[in-house]
Amino acid sequence: MAALPLWLRNTRSVIGLTILVLVCAAALLAPVIAPHDPNEQDLLNTLLPPVWADGGDPAFVFGTDSLGRDILSRLLHGARVAMTVAISASFGAMLLGGFLAHVAGYFGGWADWLIGRIIDVWLSFPPVVLSLILMVGLGSGLWNVILAIILVDWTRFCRVLRAEVLVVRRRDYVAAARLLGFSHLRTIVREILPATLPLLITLMALEMGIAVVVEAILSFAGMSVGNEVPAWGQMIADARQDIYTSPSTLILPAFAVFITVFGFNILGDGLRRSLDTRLTQTERA
Amino acid sequence: MFATLLSLFLRRLAVAVPTLFVVSALLFIVLRLLPVDPAAMSLPPNATNDELAAMRSTMGLDKSLVTQFLIWLGQILGGDFGNSIQYRLPVWQLIGDALPATIELALLSMVVATIVGLAGGLAAFYFRDGAGEAVLDLGSVVILSLPDFLWALLLMLVLGVWLNALPFMLRLDPGIERPVITGFLLIDTLLTGRLDAFASALKHMVLPVLALGISAAPSIMRVLRSSLLDVYQEDYIHQARLRGLSERQVLLRHGLKNAILPTLSLMGVQFGFLFGGTLLVEVIFSYPGMGNLMIDSIRNVDLPVIQIVGLTYCVMVLLISTVVDALHLVLNPKLRAR
Repeated sequence: MAALPLWLRNTRSVIGLTILVLVCAAALLAPVIAPHDPNEQDLLNTLLPPVWADGGDPAFVFGTDSLGRDILSRLLHGARVAMTVAISASFGAMLLGGFLAHVAGYFGGWADWLIGRIIDVWLSFPPVVLSLILMVGLGSGLWNVILAIILVDWTRFCRVLRAEVLVVRRRDYVAAARLLGFSHLRTIVREILPATLPLLITLMALEMGIAVVVEAILSFAGMSVGNEVPAWGQMIADARQDIYTSPSTLILPAFAVFITVFGFNILGDGLRRSLDTRLTQTERA
Repeated sequence: MFATLLSLFLRRLAVAVPTLFVVSALLFIVLRLLPVDPAAMSLPPNATNDELAAMRSTMGLDKSLVTQFLIWLGQILGGDFGNSIQYRLPVWQLIGDALPATIELALLSMVVATIVGLAGGLAAFYFRDGAGEAVLDLGSVVILSLPDFLWALLLMLVLGVWLNALPFMLRLDPGIERPVITGFLLIDTLLTGRLDAFASALKHMVLPVLALGISAAPSIMRVLRSSLLDVYQEDYIHQARLRGLSERQVLLRHGLKNAILPTLSLMGVQFGFLFGGTLLVEVIFSYPGMGNLMIDSIRNVDLPVIQIVGLTYCVMVLLISTVVDALHLVLNPKLRAR
């Protein structure tokens, strides 16, 4: 156990990581392991219950939706959309928000003022409303969803990281680096970034969970990847009309969203506990 | 006190005006990216090109983007919010119907979130370092991992469809006539003494309020717990114990009083999120508020409505944060002295 890095010795991180590895595997292997084409309609077998319920068909393990499409295959393919959005959008938001946070926190002055005012404008929008409006302007499609989430959620990184950069910037070793003749860029990359990295990683795990939720919200509202690509939110929206007859078509994709977001949250929680030095100190005390 | 509050409102207004200007410019630009022609949408499909050109010029679409924006802004400031393309009704009328419903929903949900969150936070603090805390902690992660609109669907399925315990569509039982005085249904039913309608309206709100309240509660719980933990490191807690106060007195008189302020700040942020969360929850429960208006106008590319609804959401968020700051001012003696 001692050879493992600190963050892997945390039970939460391990549970989160295990869930996420499984979801990722489902996403990557979806074309191979999905028993059906996710868009293939079998109009003779609509709204079949899962195989363990009365009337279930072993050919459709989780049953079928109102168009006779295989739920399991759609769930597996939906994981591709969810994970692509989670990884790309949170990475993009981290780059944009992290960059602006370091500029604002390190240089201060008018750059800090301007970035602060932009964040104020962004915060006056509920995130759901802003992302919906962006999707109206951008049009549907996977990359537009990712772009919309980046444009909405960079502030989450920027606000928290800026405060952290402000603290780190005042440390003696940063002044020492400047005295040694480090350029601003080198000081930021070599001295400040390593100190803000733990927070950045934690934020990223949480942001991936948020991105999964936002994608589900957008595809639920019919504003995400379009009808031809299976997505969890869209499956949930489709299932609403059959809530009386086959609740499993609703519960299964809802559970897929839940378990993925839970994975990211519990991983983020574990990372925060093991990487945040302030927190570990108080917990030891 | 009054002077400090007034200066807070003036300062907030000084920030809100430029913020709303930028927000409206952003809304305008983003929605102009759309490949749709509002002129063509306002005319019957058999309109000639000349009629189209005439309509474009009456709507100002042949002018530059900046001019168009300034015209639109001028109209809004003059109280003219434009007309909905699909309903052919003034936008202010649609908003006037929808906004009170959403405010009622958001306020009630916030009350539930506050009660559950504060109780949970106190419990988690009380059971700190024990199994109780671990349970509450895991519970809060689980709750947080299910977004509000999935809570809505789940509650609807279990309490509405399976147990048939609560209604989950619209705001009143069919057959009950809706009194209109203030536009706030709960208030109007009470003002007219229609207790049956009031009860029905309240019953229809239970599920959406629960969905929103439950998903906002864990954040409040966590912040209250952690600020209580912080406060208990302070000397005045030890001193209070040395003075012989019971643990309950220490908690209520010294702990909670000081821990509530950071919790209040977070609740302001949380209320802003909750207000955004009403959007999908309204859609799920066919609740006739801003969320349904927004989604409906997006589906029908009703640009004048989308713009004003977006702007209204921003005004509400700014209002909420101003009210929270004012509460902060009233409750925090350190700020009051200034």
